[in-house]
Amino acid sequence: MSFLPEDRSSELRALFFESAAELLQTINEAGLSLEKQPADEELLRSVRRAVHTLKGDSAACGFQKLSEIAHELEDILTLPIGQTHGNELAEVVLSAVDTFESMLSAYQKQLEPPPATPLRALIQRLLQSPSASPSSGESAQAEISANFHWSEYEQLMVSEALLRGDNVYNIALRLDPNSAMRAAAFQLVRNVLHACGTVIALRPEDNLAAASVEVVQAAIASAHPIEHVAHRCRIPSVVSDLRIEPANRAESDEHELLGEILEAQAATRAADPAESAAAKQSPASAVTAVAEATLRVDATRIEAVMNLVGELIIGKSMLNRTLAEFEAQHSRDPVRVKLAEALAFQSRVLDELHKCVLKIRMVPVEQLFRRFPRVVRDVAKLCGKDIALEVAGEHTDLDKGILDALAEPLTHLVRNAVDHGIEPSSERLNSGKPARGTVFLNAYHQGTQVVIEVRDDGRGIDLDIIRGQAVRNGLLKAEDAQRLDPQDVLNLVFEPGFSTASVVTEVSGRGVGMDVVRTVLDRLKGTVHISSSLGKGTSVQLRVPLTLASIQTLLFRVGGRLFAVPLSSVIEISRVNEQEITRVDQREVLRLREQILTLVRLGGLSRIHAVDAVGEKKKKSFVIVIGVAERRFGLVVDSLVGEEELVIKALPGDIVASDLVSGASILGDGTVVLILNVPAILTRLSRSLPLGAIA
Amino acid sequence: MQQFQPLLRKDQQPVRYLVVDDSVFARKNLIKMIELFGGEVAGEAGDGLTAIAEFNRTNPDIVLMDITMPQMEGIESVERIVRQHGDARIVMVSSVGYQENILAALQKGAKHFVQKPVKPEVLYEILRYVLGDDPHAAAVPVELAGEHHS
Repeated sequence: MSFLPEDRSSELRALFFESAAELLQTINEAGLSLEKQPADEELLRSVRRAVHTLKGDSAACGFQKLSEIAHELEDILTLPIGQTHGNELAEVVLSAVDTFESMLSAYQKQLEPPPATPLRALIQRLLQSPSASPSSGESAQAEISANFHWSEYEQLMVSEALLRGDNVYNIALRLDPNSAMRAAAFQLVRNVLHACGTVIALRPEDNLAAASVEVVQAAIASAHPIEHVAHRCRIPSVVSDLRIEPANRAESDEHELLGEILEAQAATRAADPAESAAAKQSPASAVTAVAEATLRVDATRIEAVMNLVGELIIGKSMLNRTLAEFEAQHSRDPVRVKLAEALAFQSRVLDELHKCVLKIRMVPVEQLFRRFPRVVRDVAKLCGKDIALEVAGEHTDLDKGILDALAEPLTHLVRNAVDHGIEPSSERLNSGKPARGTVFLNAYHQGTQVVIEVRDDGRGIDLDIIRGQAVRNGLLKAEDAQRLDPQDVLNLVFEPGFSTASVVTEVSGRGVGMDVVRTVLDRLKGTVHISSSLGKGTSVQLRVPLTLASIQTLLFRVGGRLFAVPLSSVIEISRVNEQEITRVDQREVLRLREQILTLVRLGGLSRIHAVDAVGEKKKKSFVIVIGVAERRFGLVVDSLVGEEELVIKALPGDIVASDLVSGASILGDGTVVLILNVPAILTRLSRSLPLGAIA
Repeated sequence: MQQFQPLLRKDQQPVRYLVVDDSVFARKNLIKMIELFGGEVAGEAGDGLTAIAEFNRTNPDIVLMDITMPQMEGIESVERIVRQHGDARIVMVSSVGYQENILAALQKGAKHFVQKPVKPEVLYEILRYVLGDDPHAAAVPVELAGEHHS
């Protein structure tokens, strides 16, 4: 499926602004609390996390200026600054929220964001105030601002080195601003650090980044005393300033994790109790140690994994077939049982894997539903109506690709419901309804499908108007129109030729892009069903498969060729004699338990001509009863093959020129199976029937 | 001319230098500074290959090595010398345009670099630093008043 890139990015942006608003809220609240407890590490960390997320998100959306200033703010959210400049820090955080807010709203309106200069000045002032680095012994060196924020892994290395009894030093070196060869200077610093001991952490990490960096930060484990390391680090004509301090457990706010590890290790080794008591107690750090639980991954990578799992599933059926052959030839071989067991195990794991991979693509429909309160509000305002939106089932999961494809049709439906479905308040009051109309949006699972329903409590659809319009449009003859049952009449709104812009409002407004809705749903191998009761409202149900990657199918043969239909659309299978089939009004029908069932022969559907109609000569055949929404038909087939999970391979349009086939798949033995597009067959059926036989 | 406290080895002997540069003028310039620092020129070379031979012959305390030279570039001779003599102290001498080469030389084991045109006070500090590299050779005999690094 394809989505417009701008569509995608606009959705991303919308998502960004929503999450940014939440982040600002968090920062705001934390800023207020910081005012009371400026040195609360937990609080500082939560602000820093939020700012960090904002930084990353805005950079991802291309909002560079916001990202930069957020990055600068991140630098001052440290415990030392909190301890020494608590009130000022809270002030800066709060004014940052205001600045971010105005930048965001400018971005939202696609305007140039206001400059963040005042905030930047505040940040700089905090950064440069001398007490920002209280732990530094020599005040002359306090100008170097270094936070020594090491990663968790690096912190672990630090703690291990400490446990080994090594000295660990945090070192910040300012590269000589006069040096014209920054990259070489950095390389030299690197060499010297390596000569002094084991370099645990180094920022920046490579020579390229060093060109723009002023201060190099490092953590090294060394056997040398601090004086020696300091002496070696004062590299003439390369390093202009130096700050070095021993790293230890309670040294800075970033190190509780390490403190915790030390405690744990001390406990297991039954070390000196006094020592472990000395290790910093930090009950809150367990919470903060939990890493970011979400991961953004390029969709194409997931696609690749899906494809591979698909190939594995084909491989599985290959193995199963081979096993079946083997069983037939060596039925008493004990290896047979072992093979079968191994295969069963493997296929169980494969099923799990398949499910897991599918889950990766699943997102709650909330992502789509979120946009509708706004849509309803805007459209209602436009038409001067009072309309409420009720949403249910927003936590239902659905394949992201399907969800994206549903955005357009669903927006059509909701707009239609608001614009045309719901009457103006005066009309509603006259017919005894509450003045305020309601649009319901609901989603739920049904088997392997997801149903998304758009319902309104409006005026409903007048069937006679649709009939009249269909006749006028030449879709069917007047006498045929009267014979159509109500459901078929309603379904006319999905006909491509049904609506033109001018009829839209006359026909209770239904028809705007309804054929688009069905086209999308057909493509998704889903169905759309409309029901309406005059005066009470209209409901449109979209049914889509949970995923597009693979489906459970029923395999059958017609005229020697293999076909498949989605198992979810199979209602029952019946065995019939040819005599039971009667012809009524140019169609073949079957009386099945007092119900009349229209029959379809694949040979009769015009465009699959590869199939010769050998089956008709046979006395007995099978009828697969297939149902989509409320509609049923029987598919006459020669023989049934069985159930099979098929991985759908999309067919390029020039290979199969029929919309009756939705895809193809390969069985384990290499046979190609065509998967029938059930909704398309139904369409063909209802379209061609009133006009004549299925030729 | 500035005055410098002589740089001496731990054994109070003058530091011995190998000066490698394809430009005679540049060599003379460096040699003048070396003499200013109380050092002794153990050898000279105008290309990388000769530099290796001279290093083996004279076993100097310090090598001042140009980057661009005929026959063998500075980087390669640094690599070869350091491979044979892990404790060799080589200071690269080069103009700014050759930052990439200096970087490579540092990665191959050069101890420091100085930018052309070489200023005596800068080279002095660098030499003092490089000589102090090995605590056993500990060659910082004199503490200067008003010690600055830059």
